[in-house]
Amino acid sequence: MTGRLNRWVMPRARNYDAVNAMVTAPLLARETFRWRIWWIAFAVSCALTLLMAASLFWVLYKGIGIFGNNTTVVWGFPIANYVWWIGIGNAGTLISSMLLLTHQRWRASINRFAEAMTLFAASIAGIFPIIHLGRPLYFYWVTPYPNTMHLWPQWRSALIWDFWAILSYILFSIIFWYIGLVPDLATIRDRARGPIKRAIYGAFALGWRGSARHWHFYETYHMAMAALAVPLVVSLHSVVGLDFAASLMPGWQETIFPPYFVVGAMYSGFAMVVVLAAGVRWGFGMQAIVTIDHFDVMAKIMLAASLIMGLSYATEWFAAWYGGEHADRSLVVYMFTGTYAPMMWALLACNVFIPQLFWWRAIRRNIKAVCVIGVLINVGMWLERILIIWNTLSHGFLPSMRRSFVPTFWDWSLLLGSLGFFAFMFLLFVRLVPAVSMHEVRKLVHDEVTA
Amino acid sequence: MTHVVIAQFSEADALLEAARESQREGTNVLDAFTPFPVEGMAELLGATSTRLRVVMAIGGFSMAAVAFGLQYYSAVIDYPINSGGRPLNSWPTFMLVPFATGILAAAIFGFIALLSETGLPRLHHALFEIPDFERASQDRFLLALEAPEAKKEIAALRQRLIEAGAIEVMEVAA
Amino acid sequence: MSPVNDLNRRAALKLLGGGLALSLTSCGKPAEEIVPYVDQPERVVPGVPLRFATTLDLSGYGRGAIVTSVEGRPIKIEGNPRHPASLGATDVFAEADVLGLYDPDRSKAVRGKANVESWEAFADALRAQMDKERARGGAGLRVVSGRVTSPTLARQRAGLLKEFPQARWISYEPVADTNEREGARLAFGRPLVALPRLKDASAVVAFDSDFLGPGPAQIVNARGFAQARSAASGAEQFLRLYAIESSTTATGANADHRLTSRPELIGNAVIAIAAYLAGETPPPLAGHAARFVEAAAADLKARQGRALVLVGPSQPPEIHALAHWINSALSAPVDLIEPVDDIDPNGLTSLAADIHSGAAETLIILDANPAYDTPPRLDLAAAIHKLPFSAHLSLHRNETAALCHWHLPLSHTLESWSDRRAIDGTASIVQPLIRPLYDTRTAHDVLAMLGGALTPSSYDIVRTTWAAQGGGDFENWWRKTLHDGVIAGTRSAPVATKPQRITVAARTPTQTMVLKVAPDPSVWDGRYANNAWLQECPKPLSKEVWGNSIVLAPADAGHLDCKDGDIAEIEVGGQRVQGPARIDYGQADGVIAISLGYGRSRAGAIGNEIGFNVYPLRTAGNPWLIDNVMLRKAGPARPVPTTQHHFQIEGEVDELLPLVSLVELAKGLDRKPFKDEPKPTFYPPYVYDTYAWAMVVDTAACIGCNACVVACQAENNVAVVGPEEIEAGRDMHWLRVDTYESGPGAMRGFQPVPCMQCEHAPCEPVCPVSASVHDSEGLNVQVYNRCVGTRFCQSNCPYKVRRFNWYGYNDGQEYKNLGAPSVTAQHNPNVTVRTRGVMEKCTYCVQRISAARRDAEKENRTIADGEVVTACQSACPTRAISFGNRNDPKAAVNKKRGETHHYELLGHLGTRPRTTYLARLTSPNTALKEGGE
Repeated sequence: MTGRLNRWVMPRARNYDAVNAMVTAPLLARETFRWRIWWIAFAVSCALTLLMAASLFWVLYKGIGIFGNNTTVVWGFPIANYVWWIGIGNAGTLISSMLLLTHQRWRASINRFAEAMTLFAASIAGIFPIIHLGRPLYFYWVTPYPNTMHLWPQWRSALIWDFWAILSYILFSIIFWYIGLVPDLATIRDRARGPIKRAIYGAFALGWRGSARHWHFYETYHMAMAALAVPLVVSLHSVVGLDFAASLMPGWQETIFPPYFVVGAMYSGFAMVVVLAAGVRWGFGMQAIVTIDHFDVMAKIMLAASLIMGLSYATEWFAAWYGGEHADRSLVVYMFTGTYAPMMWALLACNVFIPQLFWWRAIRRNIKAVCVIGVLINVGMWLERILIIWNTLSHGFLPSMRRSFVPTFWDWSLLLGSLGFFAFMFLLFVRLVPAVSMHEVRKLVHDEVTA
Repeated sequence: MTHVVIAQFSEADALLEAARESQREGTNVLDAFTPFPVEGMAELLGATSTRLRVVMAIGGFSMAAVAFGLQYYSAVIDYPINSGGRPLNSWPTFMLVPFATGILAAAIFGFIALLSETGLPRLHHALFEIPDFERASQDRFLLALEAPEAKKEIAALRQRLIEAGAIEVMEVAA
Repeated sequence: MSPVNDLNRRAALKLLGGGLALSLTSCGKPAEEIVPYVDQPERVVPGVPLRFATTLDLSGYGRGAIVTSVEGRPIKIEGNPRHPASLGATDVFAEADVLGLYDPDRSKAVRGKANVESWEAFADALRAQMDKERARGGAGLRVVSGRVTSPTLARQRAGLLKEFPQARWISYEPVADTNEREGARLAFGRPLVALPRLKDASAVVAFDSDFLGPGPAQIVNARGFAQARSAASGAEQFLRLYAIESSTTATGANADHRLTSRPELIGNAVIAIAAYLAGETPPPLAGHAARFVEAAAADLKARQGRALVLVGPSQPPEIHALAHWINSALSAPVDLIEPVDDIDPNGLTSLAADIHSGAAETLIILDANPAYDTPPRLDLAAAIHKLPFSAHLSLHRNETAALCHWHLPLSHTLESWSDRRAIDGTASIVQPLIRPLYDTRTAHDVLAMLGGALTPSSYDIVRTTWAAQGGGDFENWWRKTLHDGVIAGTRSAPVATKPQRITVAARTPTQTMVLKVAPDPSVWDGRYANNAWLQECPKPLSKEVWGNSIVLAPADAGHLDCKDGDIAEIEVGGQRVQGPARIDYGQADGVIAISLGYGRSRAGAIGNEIGFNVYPLRTAGNPWLIDNVMLRKAGPARPVPTTQHHFQIEGEVDELLPLVSLVELAKGLDRKPFKDEPKPTFYPPYVYDTYAWAMVVDTAACIGCNACVVACQAENNVAVVGPEEIEAGRDMHWLRVDTYESGPGAMRGFQPVPCMQCEHAPCEPVCPVSASVHDSEGLNVQVYNRCVGTRFCQSNCPYKVRRFNWYGYNDGQEYKNLGAPSVTAQHNPNVTVRTRGVMEKCTYCVQRISAARRDAEKENRTIADGEVVTACQSACPTRAISFGNRNDPKAAVNKKRGETHHYELLGHLGTRPRTTYLARLTSPNTALKEGGE
């Protein structure tokens, strides 16, 4: 690959110590940065996190009646937020495992914070299915445990599959992420001055010494995990898709759902990654290892995803028309003419039309543009999630029960709060953990420079 | 008493070259300490075990079996209940939980196996006393060789290593 | 403010304390011996409900009822099959009366001008005043009451007027039948009352007559109507209903042919029919109306003896008179009886005059609310206020109470001894189910006090009325009468008399706006305004709850560019009212329709400031039709909360609520949904080898009266959520009655939708905690204490019949005062009261099934067909609902399921519902366009 030599690492970072210095600076050489913007961002995220806490308290105290749900549209924001967050929570693992298996070496400089994003998003997603319950205190009844009622979970319910899928996924991601982190923690241990930092990072580094034998087992395990992560992450969002597909409501009962939920997840995940990447790159001056080419290639992936999404939508509408069921057909008409029609058009704009700009190299290589489109894609994906719920439930089989959903303050506050909480955790992460996988970038530098 | 010779390199390829040559010369290559995995080094050390994967497979599949068994027992034997006219043993829908939990189990078993194989966590180790060893996690590539008995052979070895590109060669008691 | 009232701890404790106190006093049997319907009272077994016969009141007329009482608490009202005005069924008002008993806003003590007084204090004051009156023969004494059909009250009235010859007794009803009475007087020379025998009719033309609508005769009419329209009776016998009306009513909705027309033109139509029958040339009618009336007249002629016409209260007397002649000319199945009461239409006017002139000085108001429901031109409110002595007996301290010196708490019907006559004159005893909850008295007691009695006993007063009965053995007669709930042989005999034909000139159509007033299907004339069940009972056609609206024709709305929900203002002779507009395609141009009973200011916590009051618009003339109305748009949209938002069903009607003509039925139906062969399935069949409960709902018989809805609410402790929650799209009724228009003019349809109890229930496999499961008898049961509230079941239910407790509607977050202990006393102890955050649904009244099972197992036999009667089934006036065991080949449900026009709702989804339907039937006149006008 001589032709594309050095495109993933800029000259400034073409030696190992430069990489180490650059990545560890936010942790060990704080003085190199002015933290004002970080503090402002942190303050804002704290405020929003408090808003989320308040909303959670209020919903537990008052009951879920504070949301906009009604007799017909029994699901609303919490479920949509859950599906959306879990979607974002997919990309990190996809990037670090799928790209690893396909030997996309450029992943080295983005997979760390992508995986962190995954962890945070997945954990936030985990909150919503619990607080959307009428009786959140009893959420643990979905687990099989000996109880006086001698009852078991009802294994045929997609919600049970959800529970296990999310639980497995979060735990799995933590292990995967931590394992990737160990050698870098060793690096920090060895660079840190203060004894406390040494001790803490040292403890988490497990005493890693970079022995060739250890590297062997390490890589074996890492590869195996990557191989397992792919089916897991695919199954996870397929199961989320089954929450809807395993029903008989018009617009839900569709075999296409699992795959297109997975693509959608990857889509929104990458959209989030580019935004975070731009942030990290600009905030910690990592232009040398998070390069324009990274944005270019991620934009290409998003472009592909946008095409697949568009195709999936079209397939849905075609299937409804071709199937000839009155309920399905009138639902599609409702999507474009009914209560939520404007949101439907916004969805199509954000998810299908606007991303077509990525056909132009200039756009792909303009970080601002990529970020804006990334944000729009996430808005579009959220709209998709909420509309899947609203359209089908609002326009069911019996006209007598057709009702619309009107969000309340608490619907919005919880969504906004969860975003703040995500930012809160990510800001802490970049300050406490190396945001880029050093040992992998070092390897990348080695391969790039001496290949 | 045996000695260990530690050669410090600034590049992975030099380290690998030196290691190969030393082995050809009959010197016993003990280990290498590098900031990232150096391809070929493990093979050279004969560390090629795949036991770890076997452990993961066993862990994963047995967990999946347990999960399915639990579902079957609870839904068919212990508390059979008519749910929407579905058969008691709705095995197709019973597949998803075993799948997810199986993968999780594989990961956990693998992690434990990894620790036992590497002997980690071991927060302190004699090697950490070696000067500059901390750079093995940053930008230096350390090669550990078993020092020969005879003095002049050590000198020869040191010479070879310097020629191979070692920045520094030192002898330590082990 | 939050949609549910928060109780702070202090308030909660207060209520709790009150509850304890109450529960000690409330659950006692009355002091006097009362006779249970089946069991002897001395055999009262805790937990075993007793059932007593009594009589309930609607605008003075009696409807027999069987009341279920648990540990001394009446909890459920059902119809008394022996009673001619109940026929074993109920209407919404009867069902809801039990909640009225426990209404926390009931007046609990005697009140003077300033503060709480005692009955003794009142007695003293009254004695002084009556001595004064006695001196002048009662010249200043006026008694105001509603319609008096009670023989005992009539007897007391006679006694009073004997004692005070100069005194006047004014009885009036807001829901007046003055036009009918006047019409009869014109036709027969005396105010006879006509009782149609609909079950013998096969052609009926209704002229703005809502005989299937709410009222004391609703059950009787509806039953006869349904009997005359059974699929069994051939096309010849099958009742064909023509309706000519100026606004949409339940009657029009159930008509084979419906014509909208301005009121005066409806009168002309009657004149035309008369002309056709007399072989004269009819007055000219507009093109379509002419065809319609001609076809109807021809039909009436053809079905001589089985044909009749009905004219609504809004039509002028002469039209009623003409209708009497038409009916006699057709020798129609109508009984004429002497009225069971006499109402002086000018009573109020003279009362007002007397008070203003000072002639009247002592006013006793017995359970009437003139301050609210009389026209303001009489200025009664001010008049009453300046009276030297006024006493007001009522359940609530209402608008009138505020004006009187004395307010006297009235005992609820379920606490009182009395008697009533039904519309057909049949008398029956009102016997109390429970000792008065508070220190209240009956009208009989108060009248006795006027006569000087100190501690009157209405029990004795009522017995005295009937003392002559029973031929010496009065006690046995009394027991039997109480047991049966009717007094044998009291039905008024039909009088045979010929009406004279009066000549009526056809009126020329006017262009002025007219206002058509009608009693409300939920709160009647306003007396039920504080009844939460009724306030939240969706009106049959509009599905509005918690309010009334100004109903406009599309054209009129168009002129004002008034959209649905916009606030409109109507003005009549300086009086103005404002309310939300509703556009109705069945409304005649230039006609505004509004229902009575709203805009109460002192009804209670539930009824205050709900909707708007139209009584002020009533003028001296026709109480139901008000002329020269001005209409204008007055503000932005503030629509009345509704439980159904979409009525037009695009093309779906043939599958959801099919309409079948008798001709098509005879040919046999081979279209969907009737020929919907069951979908193939992978699942092994479950065997239901004991019972397999199933329900069939006959949509041909359903008139949309809502009795089933309220019955279900009463039986199953279904919570009221209040207007804010309804607006948020949340409701709790387990059983709803959907109504659809399959296009303008087409016959309106009603479809009661309980849980379908699907055998392949979509709600069950999606529940993660097995809260929604199937039982061995095929019931789709909901395990409340297992439910965690994922709501996956409801989101996957194609019928959307599940209801979720978004708040603790019955669990600490009740609407307004519905958490009060007195209200909870009504709860059915055999049905779980659901907590916040759980899903609930129709259970086929599983508590009744298990009760029947217990009885059957005691006698080790199987449950017989018809032994389990669900609440909705027992309430239904038309017997549209049948329920039973599908495994019993002789069961009624199986007969229904065998019918040609039997179908499953959304059966093509493969849900295998246990609740199924019979299609609507119609027998259109081929001379007119198929189905509808």
